[in-house]
Amino acid sequence: MLFRTPNILHSNTLTMASIARYSPFFRQSCLSAFRSPLATKNVSQVVAFHASAKKQILPPLPQTIQGTVNDPAPVPKPHPSEGSYHWTFERAISAGLVPLTIAPFAAGSLNPVMDAVLCAFIVLHSHIGFQAAIIDYFPARRVPKTSTFCNWLLRAFTLTTAVGLYEFETNDVGVTEAIKRVWKA
Amino acid sequence: MAALRSTSRLVASSKPLFRPAIFARGYATVDSVAQDPNPSQTPRMKTFQVYRWNPDQPTEKPKMQSYALDLNKTGPMMLDALIRIKNEMDPTLTFRRSCREGICGSCAMNIDGVNTLACLCRIPTDTAKDSRIYPLPHTYVVKDLVPDLTQFYKQYKSIKPYLQRDTKTEDGLEYRQSPEDRKKLDGLYECILCACCSTSCPSYWWNSEEYLGPAILLQSYRWLADSRDEKTAERKHALDNSMSVYRCHTILNCSRTCPKGLNPARAIAEIKKMMAAH
Repeated sequence: MLFRTPNILHSNTLTMASIARYSPFFRQSCLSAFRSPLATKNVSQVVAFHASAKKQILPPLPQTIQGTVNDPAPVPKPHPSEGSYHWTFERAISAGLVPLTIAPFAAGSLNPVMDAVLCAFIVLHSHIGFQAAIIDYFPARRVPKTSTFCNWLLRAFTLTTAVGLYEFETNDVGVTEAIKRVWKA
Repeated sequence: MAALRSTSRLVASSKPLFRPAIFARGYATVDSVAQDPNPSQTPRMKTFQVYRWNPDQPTEKPKMQSYALDLNKTGPMMLDALIRIKNEMDPTLTFRRSCREGICGSCAMNIDGVNTLACLCRIPTDTAKDSRIYPLPHTYVVKDLVPDLTQFYKQYKSIKPYLQRDTKTEDGLEYRQSPEDRKKLDGLYECILCACCSTSCPSYWWNSEEYLGPAILLQSYRWLADSRDEKTAERKHALDNSMSVYRCHTILNCSRTCPKGLNPARAIAEIKKMMAAH
């Protein structure tokens, strides 16, 4: 039986995950988190947190590292569409968003095509971002069901957002015009 | 000390970008205040809180144990304090150490919230504040301050950290390299694999089974950047998946914490650029 060392480093990057980790109702499905009041744990409880604790979101790790230092870690199968192509696409979208966000206000003109492209980029950008969060915090190797569930939930939300934005663009004023009206400096 | 400092000139220029003054720990921490040649006879007692866990008593939870040392009688570095505690106060305290000059990487641990080498970390002279010493974060602990680095070494082995070539040189002598190509390896070959950067990376905390982590990726780039290596395409292919490299979210804890003053985040960025271009 081995213990993991406590999370004491760089607390701001840790906040999100530690909230999730200390939540006791989070083990089976991520849905149950919505039922749990994020109860304030007293200090001794947090200090006493170890791998042996009963309150973890993810199933406990094997508590030891399999194999010896002379067994190389398995190299995953190459998958460029999830690797280098994915990264290049993601960066292109992110870089593209900068001029797209500024252009309509700088030019002072409202072009429905520009608006449509902006909306598409925003939807794709957020989808990729949330996807990264799911891969990080609900790894498929540890919680395959939760991982699949989260991915489908994300797809549903992305689709809903896309449809909503389409309706807003076609039947209403559109994103840029809406921001322009709301934005009172 | 001047000679020691000069070895870090290659990477020193990029450091202040990532390292606020509070965390100012360069290659070696140098006290800006001149040492008093005649330290006063009043003892300067400082408390060190050290993480203790004994595998022989698995039912006992890990705890912090306090040791008070007189800084006038202790060497300047954290490792000196630990060695003094082990020699004079508590022989059961367990930690790794070897060279005591920042070249072996054995004494990597978490000191006052920052992963660093105990031998390169000065004891803060503020005696009012306790120093807290933990093993490297998110590692299995073997005992006290000794972490289990098996996964780290397994991953190092998986990137084939050696020169791979099929062809011989024309004259059958050594594989030559231009000074420009050799320069590309500066800031990479100095890595001592102490695991400070990898264990400071939140992404590595969550996904150390699949994500290689900054130290191993820096080594990976060291072989990708080597002009003598002929398996660059294969190396890139092995990294081309969602986990090995792309769990890096440029958090930059690695570059901030590196006790050797290297920049693993930059190496990862170079890998990403190489992968995007292929």
